[in-house]
Amino acid sequence: MRKRLLAMATLTVLVFAACNSSGTGGSGAPGGTGAAGGGCLVGVSWNNYDQERWKKADEPAIKKAIEAGGGTYTSTDAHDASEQQNKDIDTLINKGVKVIILLAKDAASITPAVTKAEQAGIQIIGYDRLIEDEKALYITFNNKRVGTIMAQELLAVQPTGNYAIIKGDPGDANAKFLRDGMDEGGLKAAVDSGKVKIVGEQNTPNWDTTGAKNEMQAILNANNNKVDAVLSENDGMATGVSQALQAVGLNIPLSGQDGDAAALNRVALGQQTVSVWKNAFALGETAGNAAIQMCAGTKLADVKAPSDLPDASKPADLASHPFTTPGGKTVTSFILNPTPIKKDNLSAVIDSGWVTKDQVCAKVTPGSVTPC
Amino acid sequence: MTSSVATSEHETGSLRDRVMDLVRATEIDGRLLGMIVTLIGIEIGFGLYTGGSILSPVNLLTFATQAVQIAIIATGMVLVIVSRNIDLSVGSVLGVVAMTYAVLMHEVFPTTIGVDTPYGWLIALGAGLLIGIILGAIQGFLIAYMKIPSFVVTLGGLLAFRGLVFDISGGSTQAPDDTQFVVLGGGPLGSLGGTISWAFGAVIIVAIALYLYYNRRQRRRFGFPVRPMWAEVGIGVVGLLIVVGGVAISNAYHWPAGLIEQYAAQHGISPEGLVIEAGVPWPAVILLAVTLVMTFLATKRKFGRYVYAIGGNPEAAELGGINTRWTIMKIYILMGILCAISAAISSAQINGATNDLGNGYELLVISAAVIGGTSFAGGVGTIPGAVLGAIVIYALRYNLQYIGLPSNNQDIVIAVVLIAAVAFDTYSRRNAT
Repeated sequence: MRKRLLAMATLTVLVFAACNSSGTGGSGAPGGTGAAGGGCLVGVSWNNYDQERWKKADEPAIKKAIEAGGGTYTSTDAHDASEQQNKDIDTLINKGVKVIILLAKDAASITPAVTKAEQAGIQIIGYDRLIEDEKALYITFNNKRVGTIMAQELLAVQPTGNYAIIKGDPGDANAKFLRDGMDEGGLKAAVDSGKVKIVGEQNTPNWDTTGAKNEMQAILNANNNKVDAVLSENDGMATGVSQALQAVGLNIPLSGQDGDAAALNRVALGQQTVSVWKNAFALGETAGNAAIQMCAGTKLADVKAPSDLPDASKPADLASHPFTTPGGKTVTSFILNPTPIKKDNLSAVIDSGWVTKDQVCAKVTPGSVTPC
Repeated sequence: MTSSVATSEHETGSLRDRVMDLVRATEIDGRLLGMIVTLIGIEIGFGLYTGGSILSPVNLLTFATQAVQIAIIATGMVLVIVSRNIDLSVGSVLGVVAMTYAVLMHEVFPTTIGVDTPYGWLIALGAGLLIGIILGAIQGFLIAYMKIPSFVVTLGGLLAFRGLVFDISGGSTQAPDDTQFVVLGGGPLGSLGGTISWAFGAVIIVAIALYLYYNRRQRRRFGFPVRPMWAEVGIGVVGLLIVVGGVAISNAYHWPAGLIEQYAAQHGISPEGLVIEAGVPWPAVILLAVTLVMTFLATKRKFGRYVYAIGGNPEAAELGGINTRWTIMKIYILMGILCAISAAISSAQINGATNDLGNGYELLVISAAVIGGTSFAGGVGTIPGAVLGAIVIYALRYNLQYIGLPSNNQDIVIAVVLIAAVAFDTYSRRNAT
């Protein structure tokens, strides 16, 4: 009996230790918490901080913009659990934040916490993912446009011929946005005019790499390898597709998105045409900057996007615009543009600190592309 | 011919009984035969639907190669389930090992021993194998010696090792692998080539003949009943036909135009009229080797007999003096090794490693084993059955992709066919006894 009690006590201590360490992991730097400075305290509620992107790009950019405006940054991480995220918002409210930047795990289940925060006089920024709330500011990328750019870039190098389309998870709304974007980018027109024929189109459950490779093999075999271009909806699947193409000696135009280091390396090697990159530094800067403006009492409709954003990411103008949500609500929003990364602008991703030169230039013949 | 078999009291039985007797005389597992019939049925069905185009060598080779990762792990899953345990961690273990291979070849080697060295890929393989053994041993220890249910331990493994993948990769895709390593993934460049494939086939045929001869002699020596001579010869001939057919199909697939052009350019020759036979893909060779070794371990070694004894009745096995704990732990170490082998093929097939590699494999592997005749009640299951189970799943998936059915409807068709196949088997067995 005593032994079991001891074991349980030890376990409890361990669990608390683990929670603590992961809880502080987000804020990290000394002075990260505590509103004592008198400036604006901005809290970020991460959904899944363990994914590389947030740590590498979004967080430093948000932090920099907040600190530049005299504010203080603090954060929580929900470990990909919507229930935990509701608790995290409580924590941030109790810490006395003025603005919450929210990367929501689930748009619907976070609503109670959002309402609670707003009742406490806290303003909300829906970051990267939509929350159905008219009082919130929504900052994201134009996802449909990612598909548009993919189609445009591939059609520019391969205006005619057989196209294969490897789409993402059938249950992910994004996969459909991307596909619609492709049609807007000229794919539908090219198909209608008979210049382009779609010889294979398949959804990939879970955006799985090996699944995408298997689908590509089936499409290649069904068409005697007569495929002229492949629209892959992201870089992970493009990794599988690229290998299926190389295995039969094909080097044809191929798209992707996310700016994965491996994909950028393929762009440098000439094995992938384009990786559409969402510049997370720009997204973070916009959010941090907006939070400071909101803290200073600027009305939501008058909040402006920062003027020093990279040209490629900058929206058409710096003013916010109304955005109609799938739920029929109108929210104030900044919609940033994704950036096509091709052979000629690889330096952009290296200069911004997104990837290193070594990652992009692995196995590339020196001098064959600009940064290598 | 029939009369020589029907020596039993079934002499006057129906045609059905006579067929069953024939099968029984060859000592071939009924479920195995069912799987083969299902596979042939699938291929004939799709062959008719596509006007025969789906039966071309490249299609058969493609799905066979796609099934290999699942089939390899399924050979071990049979033993896990036979011993009344489960392993949910296989996909994550595969993920960890595959990521280790890719990180070593992509990040570590370039700054240490260099890219594409002749031995680099072997170092990577060795390291991956070691990690597989360690992860398997940890889980095996917790299950066998700490008596924690295998479902819980390997569920923990499923979660924890997937987390570990992100730690090893730093969250991003690691690619490419060394060029020698990619050969393990198959495809025209990862195959034996025409001549070596025939030599490989010849070795196997000789091995089959020797095995049949040796087995018959041993049985005679110890006074065990032997198969009737016609059955021995029949099995030999069928084996011969399968090997010759397999090699012939593999060699009938020729390098595609793009590769021929690359090859011709590299060697300064004209691509006109150049034909290169692909031959047996490396993953198929590896799967064959794994299946043989695993079948040998399961049926001819003490280890295998212990596993089946534990599955049949754990208490009796323990009382009978079997070191059940060590046996169980060995099964999980074996699983680690199989996952590492499978990881090499997975990583080679996409030339690198993504964080999702191996995701969801646990269900596919368990399905392959169960469809192939492994019983959750313990004690029953064969390794060749599990391999065939994996091949049937991928044959269906690939053929449905080939005809362009949307992925959600593929799932529906696969589900219906698999349940029907197992239901038919269950039904015919119940009626047979």
